[in-house]
Order: sequence, then C-alpha cells, then structure tokens
Amino acid sequence: MEQSYAQALWKLVEGGMVPAKAVRALHDTLKAHGREALLSRIASAFTRIAEREAKRSDVVLTVACEKDERHAHKEVKEALSAMGVDAKDLKTQIDDTLIGGWRLEGKETLVDASYKNQLLELYNRVTA
Amino acid sequence: MDSATVEKIIKEIGNIAPAHAGEHVGRVVAVGDGVVAIDGLSKAVMSEVLVFEEGKGKKLADSMEAHGELYGLILNLEEDGVRATILGDTARVSEGMTVKSSGKILSVPASEELLGRVVNALGEPIDGKGPFKKTTLMPIERQAAGVIDRKGVSVPLATGTKAIDAMIPIGRGQRELIIGDRGTGKTTVAIDAIINQKYEPEATRPICIYVAIGQKESKTARIAQQLREQGAMDYTIIVDAPASAPAALQYLAPFSGVAIGEYFMDKGRDVLIIYDDLSKQATAYRQLSLLLRRPPGREAYPGDVFYLHSRLLERACRLSEEKGGGSITALPIIETQEGDVSGYIPTNVISITDGQMFLVTDLFNKGIKPAIDVGISVSRVGSAAQTKAMKSVAGGIKLELAQFRELEAFMQFASDLDKATADRIESGRRMVEVLKQKNGAPIPLERQVAALYAAGHAFFLDVPVNKVTEVEGQLMEFLDGQYAKTLAAIRKSGQLSEDNKKELNKAMEEFRLAHPELFTVK
Repeated sequence: MEQSYAQALWKLVEGGMVPAKAVRALHDTLKAHGREALLSRIASAFTRIAEREAKRSDVVLTVACEKDERHAHKEVKEALSAMGVDAKDLKTQIDDTLIGGWRLEGKETLVDASYKNQLLELYNRVTA
Repeated sequence: MDSATVEKIIKEIGNIAPAHAGEHVGRVVAVGDGVVAIDGLSKAVMSEVLVFEEGKGKKLADSMEAHGELYGLILNLEEDGVRATILGDTARVSEGMTVKSSGKILSVPASEELLGRVVNALGEPIDGKGPFKKTTLMPIERQAAGVIDRKGVSVPLATGTKAIDAMIPIGRGQRELIIGDRGTGKTTVAIDAIINQKYEPEATRPICIYVAIGQKESKTARIAQQLREQGAMDYTIIVDAPASAPAALQYLAPFSGVAIGEYFMDKGRDVLIIYDDLSKQATAYRQLSLLLRRPPGREAYPGDVFYLHSRLLERACRLSEEKGGGSITALPIIETQEGDVSGYIPTNVISITDGQMFLVTDLFNKGIKPAIDVGISVSRVGSAAQTKAMKSVAGGIKLELAQFRELEAFMQFASDLDKATADRIESGRRMVEVLKQKNGAPIPLERQVAALYAAGHAFFLDVPVNKVTEVEGQLMEFLDGQYAKTLAAIRKSGQLSEDNKKELNKAMEEFRLAHPELFTVK
C-alpha cells in the first residue's frame, strides 16, 4: 500500500505541485483513513522510487579500456542525441570483458557496439 | 575447420552492419519463483518475448558456453515496469540484469518435421533426435476462427472405443471433454483414439497432438513408447510440459500444441489434439497469477481462468471449404476430486465444450472398462457426424443401458422378477460385456458395427455373461476370415445395407452352428 501512496506523491510533485503542499495533502488523506502509521514506510518507498528514477535517467558509456574513451565519445554522439541526453551527463566506466568498442546504456535503450557482442552474434549465427 | 565453415564465417563477417541500432531494454529489479519484476520496458507489449542478457561482465569464452538464450514472457504491464515469467532456469537470472525486448509475440516452430517428435512447450525438440531444419513460426496466441470461416461438424472422428463411437460420437472439429477421477482411464481413452487413427486412410488421417501437462516424465515416455510400438507415432506429435517444468511452461503447453495444430489445419488437414490435463494447466496458471500479484478469486484462481480455457478450446473448429476445410478436434481432460463434477474448473470446461464423457471409479473397480457412465455422458454435436452404419446399430443402446442400470439397482432389493424385467437385465449385462474393451486395442468401425449388430440381435443371450467377451472375439475372428468382404463393404460405404445385414445374420447363424458349445444358456 505504501508503494501506491509513494507513487501518488511522486506523480503529484512531478505534476507541478509544491512538495510541502503535496506532503500535507498526503498526510491529510492518511489521517482521514487512519493510516498515519504508514508515513515512515511511504518515505522509504518514495526514496526507492527516487533512486529508481535517478537510475533510469543515468546514461552509462562502457568501454574496454581508457584509451578507447575518446573515440567512443565521438561515436556515441548520434545515439545520445536520439536519447535526448547531453554528453556532459554521460557517465563512463571501464569493462575489459568488452574486448573493444563501446556500449551505451540508459533511458531504456541499449546500443552495444562492443567487439564482444559482435563476436558473440557471429558465433551464435555460425553455430546455429 | 572445413572450407564450408570458413566460407560461412567470411559471409557472416561481411553481414555485420557498421551502424548500431539501439535496443529497448529494462532492468531486473526482483526475481523469484519463476517471475521477474522488470523496471523499464515502457514500450513493451503483452505476451512479448524478452531476452535476458546473461553475458554482461562475463568473458567472451564464458558467454559462448551459455546454454542458449534465456527468454521471458511478459504477463503483466504495470505503471513502473513489467512482470514477466522466465521460460527456463530461474537460477540464471539475477537482480540488475539487462533485459532486451524482442518485439516478437511468443511463437512455436511448426512443420511436417515435427511428426513423430517430442517437443517442449516452446517447440524445442527434447527427444534427442536433433533440431528441426525448416519450420514456420506459429503464434501461440491467435484469435479463433470466426463464424463465417467455420463449418458445421459433419465428419466422424472414430475413436475406436465402442462405447464412445456408439453412444457419444465425436465429429471432426468438436470439443469433447473427458472427465473423471484419477485412475479411471481418461488418458487410455485418449491414447486409444490416437492409435485408432492408423485405420484411417492416409489422406484423411488426422494429425494427432498429445499435450502432456504436469505429467510424470515416465508416463509421457511410456505413452510415446506405446504409440511408437503401435505405429501411431508417425502421425503424432507430443508436446511435453512435465511436472518438473516451470509453471509458465505448463501454462503455455496447450497453447503451443494448438498453435502447431493450426499449422496443419491451415493446410486443410484434420487434427486431433489431446490436452492431458487442463486441471493441471489451471493450477499452473493460478500459481503464476498469484506470483504476478493478480487478485485471486474463487478457489484462489484468477478471474480470467474461464477465458484461459475458452480461448484455448475455441481454437478447435472445422474450417469452411474456402479456408481449406481443415479441422481441430479437441479432447481436453479434466481430473475431478472424489467424483465432484461441480468444482470450479470442471464446470467451466463442461460449459465450454460440446459434450463430455464421465469416467466413473465405481464402474472401473467393477471391471467395466472404459468406465464411461453413459447416463450422464453426452455429445452435443457428434451425432450429426455419426456414420449411418453406426447409427443403425447404436440407436437404442443408450436407453437400454440406462434402463439396465436402474433395474440393476432395483434387483438388489427384489428377488422375484417378472420375465420381461429379467430378460432386460440379462440383455443389459451382455451389452455391458460387449462394450468392454481392452486398453491399447481400438476397434475399427466395421468390427464395432458387427459386434453391436450381433448384440442388438440377441446373439449373446445364450452365452454365459462371463464368456461374452471371449465369444465376441471369436465371432470377430470368424468374420475376419469368412466375411472379410462384408466388413470391407461396411467400412467403405459407412452404411449397413440390407445385403450387409443378411450377410451378418448368415454369419451369426453359421458361427452358432459351428460352436454350439459356446451357447449354453437355456
């Protein structure tokens, strides 16, 4: 139940309501229904939603090694503009299992241009 | 490495596109009991197939060793994500895993190559005979044929069981429920129907699909072996979702079976599909629904459990000539508890189907097999499809048996019976014996007609009750040897002409004269 209340609170604030007013409205509703005890749990659920939303807006560029980074930044420009993300907000991380190339993930989109992915696809097609 | 493989690799390298298209993805936030909660995938659609990305963070060599791709099926679209069921090993899914949307609705492969094979609920071969070469993908969820595309049931589907073909006839395109407690011979009746199709001409022989849901693998293996030994596996496909399979696969198996059936129906072929059994599918669906947090209703089943079975069984039909004239005949099986047919799932399926045959423990324990209670069994559309030959000999059997059952109960209290009542009881006893049949031994139409004709003409009245089955067998051997032409004529025409009747009367007389020692009752 706390999940639903937290979701409603999130939507109210996202919809443009002043946070203090939204919390007050929530408190009044809980009081009217005798559910004030839920308040602390709603706060936890709200934190989880906020974390999830933050993660959703995160866009991560993964490269195999540091020297690939500059080249990858150039290549992902098009993909980033399609996702509506500014290059400044891009987080970069290193994963040597990619072998080479890059992998861009965020905003429900994945662009995998890693060598590992291409080799794996090739292997699956040849052995199918 | 041989040159063909090298060429294949070179070609594949050439196919690699330099541009990288983005994929629609989500992230696993919770996993348990075969169900995953996924954050994201806001553009995904219901029943879409998902692919779990297992290779993230793994080395290439480890990724190559993975046992094929792991799929999921979206069953709930929620405000902040989706819930899906895992179509494989749950242990391979972990929190935070990326999930890709495939943009495809779940489909199963279908082709003539599947005949004689055992596949799982996803259409993958599990009999160790290798992969299929060329198949067509059939969606497991498809709208059933509409009224205009359908045709009435008018062609018989012979089951090879005398009691069914005579009293509860089934037509091609019909849905006839087999219902009864555990251990009453439900599967046997269905398997006999499959075996009996070998007597049909190859051109019109139905393709048979046996869908095993939540069954022991040993039982399914035994059935496959039996079908193979009887030569019935050549036109049969087994879809197996054993008790050890995830609930999702047990829920999907009947839909996979009917999707394969539709491939053949669309080509104008007749199909016989057996769902063994839908009670277990309903249980699997209940499990899934509860895990998906759908509101429980009666007996904790979700509200759409009726729709689960109605949309499945509505896909069994006979298509019009314009649509190819193919058909799917469905024999769903439902297991009851302590003979209670008023349970939630039994009543649902009874109301969906075109008739039902009840198998009763009491009759089974008395040695009456198949243990069909003809009083409460019915076929609503099949009589239109019954052959004239069978109609002419089976007319009064149901009434005679019903009267016999009543008199039999009455007889337990009354010792003095008038002659008419005593005669009816004696005749009923012999009819019960004639309708008994061994399992795995379906009887072709012409022999059924001959046996019932003999029973209807008081042939067995002078035979002791315990000898009726034996005498019937001997009579059939005699007919096979001496009157094969008459039997062939009945089979070919589907009618019992006056000439045929004369021949059968003559045969019975000859048999009686040749074996006076068998007719000892005065």
